[in-house]
Amino acid sequence: MSFDVLFNQFLSGIARGALLFLVASGLSLTFGVLRVLNFAHGSLYMLGAFLSYSIWKWLLIPVYGFYVATLLSALVIAGIGLLIEYTILRRLYARGWPEQLLATYALILIITDIVKWFWGGEFLSIPRPEPFTKAVFLFGFPFPSYNFFIIILGLVLVFFLWWLVYKTRLGDIIRAAAHDRDMVSALGIPIPWLFTSIFVLGAFIAGLSGAVTAPYGAIALGMDIEIIVECFAVVVIGGMGSLPGTLLGSFIVGQVYSFGIMYKPELALAFIFMVMAIVLVIRPWGIFGRPER
Amino acid sequence: MKKLAVFTVFLCIFTMFLAPVMAQAGAPVAKAEKTAAPKAAAKADTQEPIRLGAIWDYAGPCYMLSESAVQGIKIAVDEINAKGGIMGRKIDLIVRDTEMKVDVGARETKDLILREKVNFLIGPCSSGVALAVQVVHAESKVLRITCMANTEGQVVDKFTPYVAQVVPNTYMEAIAATRFMNKKYPAAKKFCTLAPDYEFGRREEAAFAEEIKRLVPDSEILYQAWPKPGEKDFTSFITAIMAQKPDAVHSSLFGGDLVAFTKQAAPYGFFEKIPFIALYDLPVFIALGADAPDGVMAFGRGCFFMDPNPKMMEFVGKYRKVRGAYPDSWAVQAYDSVYLIKAAVEKAKSSDTEKVIAAMEGITLDSLRGKFTIRPLDHMGSVPCYQGVIAKDPNYTFKVWKDVVRVPGDQVWRSEEGVREVWKKTGITR
Repeated sequence: MSFDVLFNQFLSGIARGALLFLVASGLSLTFGVLRVLNFAHGSLYMLGAFLSYSIWKWLLIPVYGFYVATLLSALVIAGIGLLIEYTILRRLYARGWPEQLLATYALILIITDIVKWFWGGEFLSIPRPEPFTKAVFLFGFPFPSYNFFIIILGLVLVFFLWWLVYKTRLGDIIRAAAHDRDMVSALGIPIPWLFTSIFVLGAFIAGLSGAVTAPYGAIALGMDIEIIVECFAVVVIGGMGSLPGTLLGSFIVGQVYSFGIMYKPELALAFIFMVMAIVLVIRPWGIFGRPER
Repeated sequence: MKKLAVFTVFLCIFTMFLAPVMAQAGAPVAKAEKTAAPKAAAKADTQEPIRLGAIWDYAGPCYMLSESAVQGIKIAVDEINAKGGIMGRKIDLIVRDTEMKVDVGARETKDLILREKVNFLIGPCSSGVALAVQVVHAESKVLRITCMANTEGQVVDKFTPYVAQVVPNTYMEAIAATRFMNKKYPAAKKFCTLAPDYEFGRREEAAFAEEIKRLVPDSEILYQAWPKPGEKDFTSFITAIMAQKPDAVHSSLFGGDLVAFTKQAAPYGFFEKIPFIALYDLPVFIALGADAPDGVMAFGRGCFFMDPNPKMMEFVGKYRKVRGAYPDSWAVQAYDSVYLIKAAVEKAKSSDTEKVIAAMEGITLDSLRGKFTIRPLDHMGSVPCYQGVIAKDPNYTFKVWKDVVRVPGDQVWRSEEGVREVWKKTGITR
């Protein structure tokens, strides 16, 4: 195999990893602070994709309509996140895993039906927005520029979350709350408010990632479950609730899948879960995760 | 944290098993609607109606296809009822949903047969569900017309006389597409394949491999990619295929997967560099819009731009009046199925299953896709396979085909000896 072929396959893996990171970061953030495994994160992502299509169609802005639609749909999903947190999740923080699982699982079913009722079973598609319609050339090999857009968006999100969590006062509170929420509450910081805003941010990220994947592939029923399974692999490998862990997990899953496809296409998916199994045996809390206290 | 990790793994596994279930959860509950008898058919009411069970998969990728098919069936049923029914007997249509699950499919089929006492069945969409449903109705000796699920398993490996197929099966479809590709690119020797990893995709690519060896004996298949159905990101598949530098790629991707693949492959210059064929049909063109790649080869099962004969165009008019959209090939085949039943019942002068089957063997139907005959041996219809090249057409807002080739089914189906050979292996005697 020549260098350019391997490099290209590597880039494909990076693009896939970036996509996974976009979705998994929201899942991991919510988990890190709220300690709630939001099973319905993938459904918010799917809803974001469908919503961006409808907004894009309704706006009729020829060139930059997509970007407006992406932002609007992410905001709407954030609003739906607010509603979900306020009416359902808030009541479940103190309860056990099974109830949280049941509640978020129920949300998956509800959102799937809403999508079916609203958009039907058709698969939809948005053309790629300007200026990302063509390819760029690296070492004489083409690489779709929209993939770069996703990678850059992923990097921006990494930087933003890092800044938020490690460089702001809010970040201090977030980290403190993840560590010991009773203590933070005792210091007079309103925990419910903090939790709501984190969940809303997580939902915003889900909606945003759904919207940016819309021009990438097809918008279809079932994309929620498809992504959430891989996102679980990402966060388990990288470590639940850890930002660098999610980044590394996405990178590993993207690369393993990409080179798996090249050398042993039948087993590409299995490789991901093999890596996950190995990580779990060696470090059950994930590469960057912390063991439970 | 250990507990948590174990729990997460459990969740992952749980999700993977549930994925197909959840994608379909909440499909419309058994739509038991009966077509109202038009007034014109008043005299038909005096006799016992013929009961027709439509068994379809209102879920996941099959949702839209099933909707189209049932619409096609309804148009045919309404038409027939308006003209006095079949031999003066009105058709009652009962629609049931399988949720695209084999167990629900089997249950609903049983219910249609035992409680609704249907005379005939039409459906379903998924090849997997079809094989499960087949066990049930064959046991109860009820005839089913299969017009979308096209695995060859229904009429060859697991043959039963209680099935007739009016959609080109996986073998015919792939053979015809392979010959078309070979004619367009006779010098191509090195191939890659790209197909969804399940019954349908596996069978199509197996038939491709068989046929290309016959046509080009020194050909070789360099690489076979098997994305899971519902794959969203084909980038790694695209770069892996391009790294092989094949002369052409045969694919049986369809629907949303084909939309995603096409959009992701275009920026690589994939379609300019590598001749490619896949199941590009109407819904894919509507979703892709201007992104559909001109000049790329396509195969399909027969809709108006593949076969714009007067009968087909008349159907297009009726369908548009009801649905406000163009009918895809799924609606066409479902419509043809109802007329096949009508023709066979009229020839048998009875709705008795055994007599209808006997009448159906060798019957020729003047369908929307031209004339086809049901082969007595395996009940496979000599339905045409279509191939063409993607092109713009000023008459439509979406892209369609040009240079269309219509291959009659009897040129590409497995020969009777071939069928018997498979039967020897699977233990079917006939």
